[in-house]
Amino acid sequence: MSKRKAIIKIKPNKYANGEVVKVNLMVMHPMETGMRKDKETKATIPAHYINNVKFVYNGKVITTMNVWESLSTNPVFTTYMKIDGEGELSVTFTDNTGEVNEKSIKITPKG
Amino acid sequence: MQRREFFKKLGVAAAAGAVLPSLALSNEAAAPKPKGPNELSYKDAVNAITGGKKVVNSPLVHLKAPEIAENGAVVPVTVEVDSPMTENDYVKAIHIFATKNNNTRCIDVHLTPANGKAMFATRIKLGGTQEVAALVELSNGTFLVATQSVKVTIGGCG
Repeated sequence: MSKRKAIIKIKPNKYANGEVVKVNLMVMHPMETGMRKDKETKATIPAHYINNVKFVYNGKVITTMNVWESLSTNPVFTTYMKIDGEGELSVTFTDNTGEVNEKSIKITPKG
Repeated sequence: MQRREFFKKLGVAAAAGAVLPSLALSNEAAAPKPKGPNELSYKDAVNAITGGKKVVNSPLVHLKAPEIAENGAVVPVTVEVDSPMTENDYVKAIHIFATKNNNTRCIDVHLTPANGKAMFATRIKLGGTQEVAALVELSNGTFLVATQSVKVTIGGCG
């Protein structure tokens, strides 16, 4: 299990309970399609892409995604989320080689 | 006699040499295009999701993509659906397709009422000038679709 760099951003910075906020996830991933060829050796570069992304907020699954190789390198996923109490938002992403990574962020509503 | 046979053999060899390269060439020409690991056409992909149900072009689905993309490797796409997102009436799933890519499926997003707003944005790869489609599944089982064509100057699929 290797660690991949991922960034979660919530906009706006300050939010209250019941507010709908934007969640921005960015993952550093090559997203190889399996059709590209190495320029020197002419060998096909094997496919390597994220195939599943899951957003869990306080133990409740809010969004799941099935992903294929047509997403750009270092993909960005932007969705919305309703703030419902203090807790944790964790994101799990799996790729076709079986690599599993997790990233989480604390949710602390104010006011 | 020996001389005659020698020339016969020579003729056969020459003929074979002339035929073989042309055969090899025709084989190359007839060989199918390189296939991706998950090749699927747009029609099949939509049928697999809807199960043959009717798909309606709808103004409720707002698909935002650039009309001209200079680089096909990074094309920002935004899908927004007018929906109240309550327990009884919400957007179940948003599917994004690049209609002429080797594998047309880009991403399936399964939403719940906890999202509060039916919106999804990402960046996709496009192999060439083509249409981008967003298929939306509502909680009552209807399917809506919106398409937009994107002109690509440099392809992004290797």
